[in-house]
Amino acid sequence: MMDIQLASLFASGAFIIIGLFAAIFIDNLIKKIIGIAFIEEGVNLFLICLGFKAGGVVPIFLPGMTADWFAANAAYPLPQALVLTSIVIGASTLAVMLALAMVLYRKHGTLSVSEMMGDEK
Amino acid sequence: MNYLIPLMVVIPILAALIVNIFGGKDKTVKAISIVVAIAIPVIAIIAAVGIQYFGGHDPALLASSLPSNLMGTLVASYNTGIVYVFENIERIFIFLMGIVAFLAVLTYFAEKKEVSGPYLYLIFMGIASVTALMLSNDIFNMYVFFEITALTQVGIIIASSTEDNYEIALKYLILGAIGGPILLLGIGFILGTIGSVNINDIVFAISNNYVNPYAPSLVIGFALILFGWLYSAGLPPFHTIKSAVYSKARPNGSAILQGFSVLCMLAFGIAMYKIFAYVPYFNTAIIVFAILAMALSIAMSAMEVDFRRMIAFLAVGELGFIALGFGIGTQYSIAAALFQAANEIVITALLFIGFGTVYYLTKTSDTRKLGGLIAVDSKMAIMVLLGGFALAGVPPFNGFQSKLMLVQAALDAGYTELAILAIIVSVVIFFTFVKAFHTVYLQPKPKDLKFAHEKIPKATVFSVAVLLIICLALGIFPNIVTDVFIPFAGGLI
Repeated sequence: MMDIQLASLFASGAFIIIGLFAAIFIDNLIKKIIGIAFIEEGVNLFLICLGFKAGGVVPIFLPGMTADWFAANAAYPLPQALVLTSIVIGASTLAVMLALAMVLYRKHGTLSVSEMMGDEK
Repeated sequence: MNYLIPLMVVIPILAALIVNIFGGKDKTVKAISIVVAIAIPVIAIIAAVGIQYFGGHDPALLASSLPSNLMGTLVASYNTGIVYVFENIERIFIFLMGIVAFLAVLTYFAEKKEVSGPYLYLIFMGIASVTALMLSNDIFNMYVFFEITALTQVGIIIASSTEDNYEIALKYLILGAIGGPILLLGIGFILGTIGSVNINDIVFAISNNYVNPYAPSLVIGFALILFGWLYSAGLPPFHTIKSAVYSKARPNGSAILQGFSVLCMLAFGIAMYKIFAYVPYFNTAIIVFAILAMALSIAMSAMEVDFRRMIAFLAVGELGFIALGFGIGTQYSIAAALFQAANEIVITALLFIGFGTVYYLTKTSDTRKLGGLIAVDSKMAIMVLLGGFALAGVPPFNGFQSKLMLVQAALDAGYTELAILAIIVSVVIFFTFVKAFHTVYLQPKPKDLKFAHEKIPKATVFSVAVLLIICLALGIFPNIVTDVFIPFAGGLI
C-alpha cells in the first residue's frame, strides 16, 4: 500500500496543477476562481503532509505524558498552525474575488474574462 | 522602549478599525487619521533598536527547559514564536513610508470633501502590513502580511472609483491568488527541509550544514519564493499589471501603493538574500529580472500617452534598479539598492501626487488633450519637474546619488555592461519625463480643455514640497542613510 504521506503529496501536486490549469487557461471567471481555490487547498494539503508522523499522536500535551515521549511521538504542530492561517487568508481572498465577480457580471453581463477585459481600455 | 516595536503594527491596525467604525463622522475620522499618520513616523524615530520575541521567551530560555532528547540538537536553538527585529534600516524605511502615508492622507482630505472610512481603513491596514513585513524575521509571518498587503492594494483600487478599476482589481487579485500560494509552497519546502520558518534558524541550519544546502527541496523553495517576490515587487512578468494598478488608484493611493511594493520587494529581497545567496545563479536570476524590468517598463513608458500610466511604468522600471543592486551582490551594490529603494518611495510619491494634480484639475490623464497647465500653478509645475529630475538621476537630487552608487558598484564588480545599461535607462527616463512635462505644462492649452477645479489645494502643494525637500536633503547629505545601509549590506553578505 502506498505510504499515506506520499499519496497526500501526490494529491496536493495534482490539486495545484489542476488549479493552475484552470486559473490560467479557463475563460469562465467562476471556474477560474474555483481553480484558484484548488491551488490554495493543494498548498494547504502539502503543508499538512509536512507535519505528518506515521503512528504519531495529536500534538496536544496531555496529563500523564512525559516531555521526552511527547517530543518523540507527537506530530509536528507548526504546519497545522500555518495551515489554519492560510485557510483564513484563502477564504478572504476568495470572498473578495467572488464579490468582484458579482460586480463585474452586473457590469458586463458575462462571466467570460476575455470579454470583460476586452471591454477594458 | 522595545514595546514600541509591536506598537508600530498595532497602532495602524487599531486606527484602521476605528476610522472604519466612525466612517460617517468626517471630523472624527480626519482627526484620528492625522494623529495616527503623524504618530507612525514619530514612533519609528523614537523607538529603540531591539528585538521583540512574541510568545514571551527567547530561544535560550526555552532551550534550558527542553525535553532531554532535544537538548543539544538543532531544534534547541529554534525560535518558537514570531520575532520582530527593529534596526536602523527598518527605522529609515518605516519612517519614510510613514511620511508618505501622512502626506497622502493629507492630500486625500484636501481633495475629497467627504472622506471614506473604508478607504482610510485600507490605507492604515496596508501600512500596518508593510511595517510588519519589514519587522518580521519569520517567512510565514511575512507571507501573511504580504497577502494582507495584496488585499489592501486591491481594496484601494476598488475604493478609488476610477474607470475600469474593478477589472484591474480582479486581474491583480487573480495573479495574487496564484502568486501567494506559490510563495507559500516555497515556504513549505523550506519548512519541510529545515523544520522552522524563522529566518535566523534557517540561515543557522544551512550555514552550519545541518541540512544539505544544495538539497533540491531548498532550490525548489528558492525558485517558488523568487516567483512570489517578482509578484510582490511588480517585476516582469507582473510589470504590466502593477503599472495598471498604480494608474487606476487615486494619485495619493498610487503613492502609497508604490511604497507598499517597494517595502514588499525589500523585505522579501533581504530575506531571500539571507537564506539563498549561496544558490548557484541566484545573482544571475535577479539580474535578468532587473534588466527586463528596466528595459520593458521604460520602453512601455516612452510609448504611453496616458501620463498616469507613464509614471506607473517609470516607477516599475525604477524597481529594476533596486533589483540590479541586489543582483550584483556586493556590499556597495546592495547599499545602493537600499538607497535607491528609499529614494523610490519618496520620488514616486512626489510624482504621483504632483502629476496627480493635473488629473485633479482637468479630470483627464491623456497627454494629447492637455497643455498649458504651467499657467495654472507654476510652483507645482516646477516642483514636478524637479521631481522628474530626481527620478532620472539628475544632481543634486537623491536619485543621482543612488544611481551613481549603483553604477560605481557595477563597475567595481566588473559588470561594465550593466553600468552602461543603467546610464542609458536613466537617460531614457529623463527624456520620457521631459517630453511628458512639455506636453502637459508647456505646449499651448487646447481650446476644448475644461477644468474641473480652478486651484490646487494648499495641502497638496505642501505635500509635494515636503517630498521635494526630502529628495534634496538625501541628495545633498546621502550619508544620513548610506551610513546605515553600507554596514547593513556588509552584514548581509
